[in-house]
Amino acid sequence: MASPKDEQSQPDGGDAAAYLDMPPERRAAAKAHAAMLSKTAHRIALELPFGADVDDFRRVLIEGAKP
Amino acid sequence: MTDLAALSARSLAKAIRDKKVSSVEATEAAIGRLKACHGLTNCVMSLEEEEALAAARATDAAIAKGSAMGPLAGVPLAHKDMYDRQGKIASWGAKLRSHRPATADSTAIARLKSAGALQIAALHLAEFAYGPTGHNYVLGHARNPWDPTRITGGSSAGTACAVAYGAIPAGLGSDTGGSLRLPAAACGVTSIKPTWGRVSRAGAMPLAPALDTVGVIARHVEDLALTLGILAGPDPRDPAATSVPVPDYVARLDDPVKGLKLGVDEAVIGEADPRVQKMVEEVAGILVKLGLTRTSCRFPDWQTLDHLVQLVQLPDASAAHTTFLRTRAGEYGPQVRARAEVGHFISSVDHLTALRARGSYLERTLRDTFKDADIAILPILADPLPTLAELDVSGGPQVQAAMGRVVKFTRPINYLGLPTLALPIPRGGGLPNGIQLVGRPYAEATLFAVGQAYQRVVPPEIARPLEG
Repeated sequence: MASPKDEQSQPDGGDAAAYLDMPPERRAAAKAHAAMLSKTAHRIALELPFGADVDDFRRVLIEGAKP
Repeated sequence: MTDLAALSARSLAKAIRDKKVSSVEATEAAIGRLKACHGLTNCVMSLEEEEALAAARATDAAIAKGSAMGPLAGVPLAHKDMYDRQGKIASWGAKLRSHRPATADSTAIARLKSAGALQIAALHLAEFAYGPTGHNYVLGHARNPWDPTRITGGSSAGTACAVAYGAIPAGLGSDTGGSLRLPAAACGVTSIKPTWGRVSRAGAMPLAPALDTVGVIARHVEDLALTLGILAGPDPRDPAATSVPVPDYVARLDDPVKGLKLGVDEAVIGEADPRVQKMVEEVAGILVKLGLTRTSCRFPDWQTLDHLVQLVQLPDASAAHTTFLRTRAGEYGPQVRARAEVGHFISSVDHLTALRARGSYLERTLRDTFKDADIAILPILADPLPTLAELDVSGGPQVQAAMGRVVKFTRPINYLGLPTLALPIPRGGGLPNGIQLVGRPYAEATLFAVGQAYQRVVPPEIARPLEG
């Protein structure tokens, strides 16, 4: 059985990235930064159409090349 | 006697072709200047003197025989030390790296070689290209050739130093969050961050592949045009390298710029230090005098873009580094280690949300920001050129905020994938800085035409330490 340190990150839990050897203050700063960015992600997710796809970017980029 | 240091790569190639100067003479001169530049700036990772001179002798022999040569035949260049070259190990600016020599050249290096260019050195970069200031806590910081107490910008620091000093006319860099534009601005030279996918990344060290862009730093805009024409185009080794046709950028350098619309987003520019705002206004004024028409434009909310690009970059970079971080973390420098850790705290859902939103944010930018503008002007650095000491935050708690301020105006553009030309401000005897011109996708030719017109008014300079 895998130990907690071997498990994948649980970003919203207390043991996020437990496998990384980080001092508490740096861990707290990293968590706070990720939480700040997460608020934006949640806001943007509400605006996104259900069918939004990661490949839309390449399509729009190439379409944007047209005069 | 021609001052070889001041020549563009294009002019030097012509002089070599016309046998006015040999490739050996040009290479010896470049190596001499690069050694002097390194003494001042710490710009070199490895000097390849014998190899370069042998290649120069071969080029001179081929020219003497009238063999067909490429557009950069015999021209000495040097590049950021993160590109694979067959049989060599790139430093990546790091102690932690592969110890196996590359089995093939990166596509960018291979294309420059096919064009006849020589490589005299591999140049300084931030550790793993993950730093915007020129600090490198494991292999030594780079210092600015205009004032060695100041930052060079990063991560393509060595290329910018060597180009600014006149050691080489041009060299490769890369840009994930500003790494071509920041050193160009800090060292007073030009750069092109092409449209994402315009140049193959095959064989280039990955930082955050969704954003990584291969590009060039040069003193002369015409050299950006020449080299991008060589580098651009599809590549079976990089599926992101698109088949959008590559124009003849050099032929279009003199395209008319009169009537082009210059977008100015005063709200975004207003977030820079007032002295930087003044610099942007000065350059905008020059462009208007050249015939561009000033118009207002509005980017999507800048802070949102800045958050979205971090949601892409941080996990992307952390994923690349996860094995090293879990097994050999102590071999990282403190700043890269602290930055690479953060991505592990971002959820995959947030990361994917930022990637899924990327198309709609680009669509919105093209529809709104570029509705009435052909190009847009923005600062590069938010502040007048900082000192190395001011930004020596190492891996401390202020690292995200301090680095965030440095890349404030550059990394959101990577999220949009748009091409960006960096131009130096008129220095007026003071420290260098720069602005960026942002174009529509694949509109590099338009950017070059504007840059070429600008350099007729604000000519390229060679960097030497300022008095006092």
